[in-house]
Amino acid sequence: MQPEVEQELIRKCKAGDARFYEPLVRAYEPAGMRVAMGMMGNPDDARDALQEAFVKVYENLARFDLARPFRPWFFQILRNQCRDMLRSRAARFRVETLDERVELRVADPEKGPERHRQRHAARELLWMALERVSDEHREILVLKELEGLRYGEIARILGIPEGTVASRLYHARRALKTVLEEQGTHYP
Amino acid sequence: MFDMTPEDLMRYLDGELSPEERRRVEVAVETSTELSRELALYRAMKEDFQGLSFSPTRPGDTWSRVNRRLTRPVGWALLIVGTAVWALYGGYVYTTTPGVLVEKLATGAVVIGVLLLLASVIWEQYQAWLADPYRDVHR
Repeated sequence: MQPEVEQELIRKCKAGDARFYEPLVRAYEPAGMRVAMGMMGNPDDARDALQEAFVKVYENLARFDLARPFRPWFFQILRNQCRDMLRSRAARFRVETLDERVELRVADPEKGPERHRQRHAARELLWMALERVSDEHREILVLKELEGLRYGEIARILGIPEGTVASRLYHARRALKTVLEEQGTHYP
Repeated sequence: MFDMTPEDLMRYLDGELSPEERRRVEVAVETSTELSRELALYRAMKEDFQGLSFSPTRPGDTWSRVNRRLTRPVGWALLIVGTAVWALYGGYVYTTTPGVLVEKLATGAVVIGVLLLLASVIWEQYQAWLADPYRDVHR
């Protein structure tokens, strides 16, 4: 969605017209689902967290400064929602194995079925290992690896200095590597 | 000699370095087997993460759920205000209209009886919910 269109939609929503919120929800739904899924670990909790986050975003739009970018603000609210749900509802991070609800992109056909099978297995290991890292490490991995956000955006979402992002990512990746090794798996 | 930190390696991996900084990291990686192995591992992780994609089961489902949540408070407010107005008006008409005492008593008993039954069912449901040991168990 173009920034001008997004700003105009937000302006209309701030004026109290909820009809203009629908395009925003639809535009942010796939990215929001990726982040929520990564943080919550299963589609049911991810959908609940995403829905609550969208409601909170709308309720707080009056306080949103239009001079600021919407995307990091949205992810900040979503991340807080996921954390709250994990904490207060004791909805433990329940990882579901890769099934029809976690889709894998089609591998490069030139690389053959064996390569595809190996990558599928590696992704499953990685997904399961994500369950065992700390919340702090998981959230930064989700924002960087699943959503591909820039360091500046991640810093705004997590409320940390930009310089800390690289360091936290390093520790998160190391933690993931350690979990993979503890599982006794050979990765990659 | 360029003294590379783990943070530099992360910035390199994530494309957050200037061209000059990139070149310096590349030289450092080329001359260290350990660094190049570490970088290969993180690259593989990155590639595999990017191979995962999630999609909601039904497109537009989120919006319909969000929309329901956004419009529900308005619905409740209208229902409460409307019910209160009707109750006050009905009470006023009931008490000021001349009629047979038996009719008034019977009507009053029906209304009070219905309200008591409704309150009792709501209270039972609330108690059952409080006592449910599985209420925090998710689907």
